[in-house]
Amino acid sequence: MNQSLISRLLYKNTSVARIAGFILSNFLGLAIVLGGLQFYTDARSIWEDDESFIHSDYLVINKRVTSQNTFNGQSSSFSEEDLSDISSQPWMKRLAPFSTAGYKIYASIDQGGKGISTNMFFESIPDSFVDVASSQWGWREGSNEIPVIISKDYLSLYNFGFAASAGLPQMSEGFMSGIPLKLTLRSNDGLRTLQFNGRIAGYSNRLNTILVPQEFMDWSNRELGSENIQDPSRIIVEVSSPGDVAIKEYLDTKDWEIAGDKTNASASFLLKVVIGIILAIGVVITLLSLFILLLSISLLMEKNRDRLHRLLMLGYGLQATGRPYRIIAIGSSLIALALAIAATFILRSFYIDALTGLGATPGNLWFTVCTGALLTLLIILLNLFSIRKKILRAWRI
Amino acid sequence: MQINEITLEDMLPRVFINEKIPVSEVWNTRLSFRKGNRYRVEAASGGGKSSLCSYIFGTRTDYNGTLYFNNTDIKSLSIPLWQDIRRKNIAYLPQELSLFPELTAWENIQLKNSLTGYADNAKIGQWLDRIGISARKDYPVGKMSIGQQQRVAIIRSICQPFDFILLDEPVSHLDAENNRIATEIIEEEASKNGAGIISTSVGNPLQLSDPVILSL
Repeated sequence: MNQSLISRLLYKNTSVARIAGFILSNFLGLAIVLGGLQFYTDARSIWEDDESFIHSDYLVINKRVTSQNTFNGQSSSFSEEDLSDISSQPWMKRLAPFSTAGYKIYASIDQGGKGISTNMFFESIPDSFVDVASSQWGWREGSNEIPVIISKDYLSLYNFGFAASAGLPQMSEGFMSGIPLKLTLRSNDGLRTLQFNGRIAGYSNRLNTILVPQEFMDWSNRELGSENIQDPSRIIVEVSSPGDVAIKEYLDTKDWEIAGDKTNASASFLLKVVIGIILAIGVVITLLSLFILLLSISLLMEKNRDRLHRLLMLGYGLQATGRPYRIIAIGSSLIALALAIAATFILRSFYIDALTGLGATPGNLWFTVCTGALLTLLIILLNLFSIRKKILRAWRI
Repeated sequence: MQINEITLEDMLPRVFINEKIPVSEVWNTRLSFRKGNRYRVEAASGGGKSSLCSYIFGTRTDYNGTLYFNNTDIKSLSIPLWQDIRRKNIAYLPQELSLFPELTAWENIQLKNSLTGYADNAKIGQWLDRIGISARKDYPVGKMSIGQQQRVAIIRSICQPFDFILLDEPVSHLDAENNRIATEIIEEEASKNGAGIISTSVGNPLQLSDPVILSL
């Protein structure tokens, strides 16, 4: 009986309109934040493949090959001046040239009598640019096994081009990795030959090359290579933001290009900016709704201050006197959160088919739901704190 | 916790600090109220008797000097402890009654009694009968006369165990007969609890038997 009496007393002066105003604005703010986040989570895979070997802040850059290069013998490699020029750009963090093998490579696969062999090439970049566990990557002198990372395109070429026409079986990434790869390295003068086993450590979307560890490259070039080291034709750079427009402008004026750039960095950058603006608007509305709730409950408690004081005089505690207000704060916040999550789901159902049609892998919902829960928790906690403070103020006359 | 003694040491409401006040048996001295005794604090209006009650009940702290429950300075008590004291140790009938006008007499009393679980409905019914407002128990208190409200508040104040009961002009609007009945009920409950009674008055005092009379 007494809790209902207390509620009757303390809910007096409650403005349903103000509470509804809070629920509406909090719902709007949260729905914008959650909807934006969910869309970003779902859409990002279109622009960002889950390349695990090369961090997305790394770009591989080469000069555009033109017919001039072919007919005039003009080199498409980077000179010292080119390198120092790009190093001085503000978006540059660090740079490394690709090292090239100065010898001939033959690779062969022997598969149940049917074998293929091919000419190959090696390139390498410093290990610090390669995101592969060190147990899977790297090489020490004396080891007979060389880990390699090859371009995914090569596997596609084999599976859909070569294997089909040559009557060879198609191979999955996992299966291919298990096949022993025989590598024969021969110096350009044909005098020295080395034999190694290759092991495919991974496939890359963003490296159009066959990558071996830097230690192996240095060692094998010493052993087999001719002395004249060429200027690198490709470089890998780490940049602060791969979507930065300045990078694209710089490369355009130089007539250089980003290799394997299927990720469309500027679209990804634009998506991030747009989502960022949307999230900021949502967060601002959410914050404003927080103040609406804080103010409405404060106002309500101020109007009922005398009643609160009398209840405290009767011996009711902070728990019992605060409960009606805590119920308003928690209840209305949860209603707004539930509505916002529901709205996010509905919004998602509208775009998700179109997105998957564009090749997106939908992200999961947990991040969005947790963010919503976290924001709501924050609103609730701040309100509980303010409610307690108000009751303490009603304690004394 | 049991409060056996309420002690005032060199206490003075802050509003009096720069005023010349007549010699008082309460302010600026040492005074102890003991459990089991009856006290009547007499004062002219503005002498600070309501302040005294508020100080003892912990709702105001604007005084100099120290107020002790047993040997504890009451300014050191936590809020949960105060709430415990208000439910079990000190009953209080403030001059302004502090009833909820929108609730009925019965609901006002239940609001206190359901917190303490002190008296059963039959007991409360008997009290209301004796004091003459049982016919009005389902009326909103706001529509009652001040005298009727005072009687509701008296019954509400005894719906708890107590070591002391503070009554701030409890019968100012009651006639002699109702004053007698109210005194009788309050003294019964106080004796049952072995409690002390501190009652203030400006003119129409509670008819306590043998009170210690103190003038502010």
